[in-house]
Amino acid sequence: MAGKAATTSTTYSPSPTTLKTKAPIFNEDWVRPDGRGFHQCRPAFFRTGAVNAASGSAYAEFGNTKVIVSVFGPRESKKAMMYSDIGRLNCNVSFTTFSTPLRGQGLDNKEYTAMLHKALEGSIMLETFPKTTVDVFALVLESGGSDLPVVISCASLALADAGIMMYDLIASVSVSCLGKNLVIDPILEEESSQDGSLMITCMPSRYEITQLTVTGDWSTPKINEGMQLCLDACAKLAKIMRSCLKEAALGSQE
Amino acid sequence: MVGLSLGEKQFIQGGIAEDIRTDGRKRLTYRPIYVETGVIPQANGSARVRMGATDVIASVKAELGKPSSLQPNKGKVSIHVECSPTAEPAFEGRGGEELSTELSVALQLCLLGGKSGAGAGIDLSSLVVVEGKICWDLYVDGLVVSSDGNLLDALGASIKAALSNTGIPRVHVATGASSDEQPEVDISDEEFLQFDTSAVPVIVTLTKVGRHYIVDATSEEESQMSSAVSISVNRKGNICGITKRGGAGLDPSIILDMISVAKHVSEQLINKLDSEIAAAEAEDES
Repeated sequence: MAGKAATTSTTYSPSPTTLKTKAPIFNEDWVRPDGRGFHQCRPAFFRTGAVNAASGSAYAEFGNTKVIVSVFGPRESKKAMMYSDIGRLNCNVSFTTFSTPLRGQGLDNKEYTAMLHKALEGSIMLETFPKTTVDVFALVLESGGSDLPVVISCASLALADAGIMMYDLIASVSVSCLGKNLVIDPILEEESSQDGSLMITCMPSRYEITQLTVTGDWSTPKINEGMQLCLDACAKLAKIMRSCLKEAALGSQE
Repeated sequence: MVGLSLGEKQFIQGGIAEDIRTDGRKRLTYRPIYVETGVIPQANGSARVRMGATDVIASVKAELGKPSSLQPNKGKVSIHVECSPTAEPAFEGRGGEELSTELSVALQLCLLGGKSGAGAGIDLSSLVVVEGKICWDLYVDGLVVSSDGNLLDALGASIKAALSNTGIPRVHVATGASSDEQPEVDISDEEFLQFDTSAVPVIVTLTKVGRHYIVDATSEEESQMSSAVSISVNRKGNICGITKRGGAGLDPSIILDMISVAKHVSEQLINKLDSEIAAAEAEDES
């Protein structure tokens, strides 16, 4: 679009923008746009304590994907809610209007909210805070692909930072199927032309899957391969998350 | 919510462990499935599916629309599920809303395939009339009339039946219009194009109760579940979508085992469903 400016007239006339990106051909010598290997994740960066007002918070950055999650509570459940001898988890995922290439595009956050809730609830010891509610609010500052896995991992870290009792940290990784290739931790460009996706959220130390979604067309051996790839990556991701928590704990002692 | 006494709970769990369920079924047996097609005259296609006391209706409406600028060579399909409070008082207000979004999202994941359209049950490029200008928008609506568990499988089956009942009118495009203008179209009242539904997957939900898992759980059995995995499988035996419900974690090897069981079960289900749909269509026409 920027290249067009030189050839057309200097006055601005609005015309419908059609993003014409040619679908790349995914043969053997195809390389990923950011030069990563197919089974190589983006460098992950985590930091806890991003928001002062929250009981716990975390910031995560995976390439261009930037997410902030804050955890509030446990606070008293609303009066309208019925008595419950286990705690409640209240999640929300939202996108900033400028997070996506087209403004205000990321509106499928209801779906993300439900997924985040389902991914987290299996790891939290809800019986440790009866009659109360924990709020998890996630905000996607910049959407650069694999948003949901980053949100889930970051939310788990924020919960740990808030001191909510959990069985294990939750790590989440997705793979995309592009032609015959399986690429891990896809970026936005790869996600938009993917033939299928597989996302796993798991508790690596317990070796349990809390949430799993698959779309597209998969044969059983491919699912096997994709799951193994994700589980290995989750284990590594959890190590990074753990070291981040340790660092934060050491920092506060000094 | 189902209120069960401790004894009833143990009876259900014990029965499942012994491979004989409260209604006499085995763990991997479905309830009898009844299919009726053409139940809604206003829609382009519709079907009603009953499995025991679970009763759902799906309708397909087609409207002419404009393709999105990002995908000019594809039509649009939206799937929405409504849980009417007439089925269960718990569906009133937010409870129903939550369930209907969950079901809608799961159906979209299972039926619409990946972003590039691979593995989609509905071929979106077949819905285009004029590229970049006109396409068919399919509105697939599911309604839960009565709920006794296993809603997702029943909705999946009813959508498959409704799509095979769908006739899309043939559209004549007036030629000669310049490329910038919106072309004029003439929708035929008599000629209808049948939809190819051979690629539409079926959904098999495996509900884990105790250490075993069952298909086609009733709501009493669902209340005892720790988690449930819904797997959609097409005729080729490929997996088109997986979603998981329930918070409890599962071992990866159990999930792989579930996938192979689902593939086996889906073969029988697809054949059963196809014969039911064919019978319903024959009755509808006579």
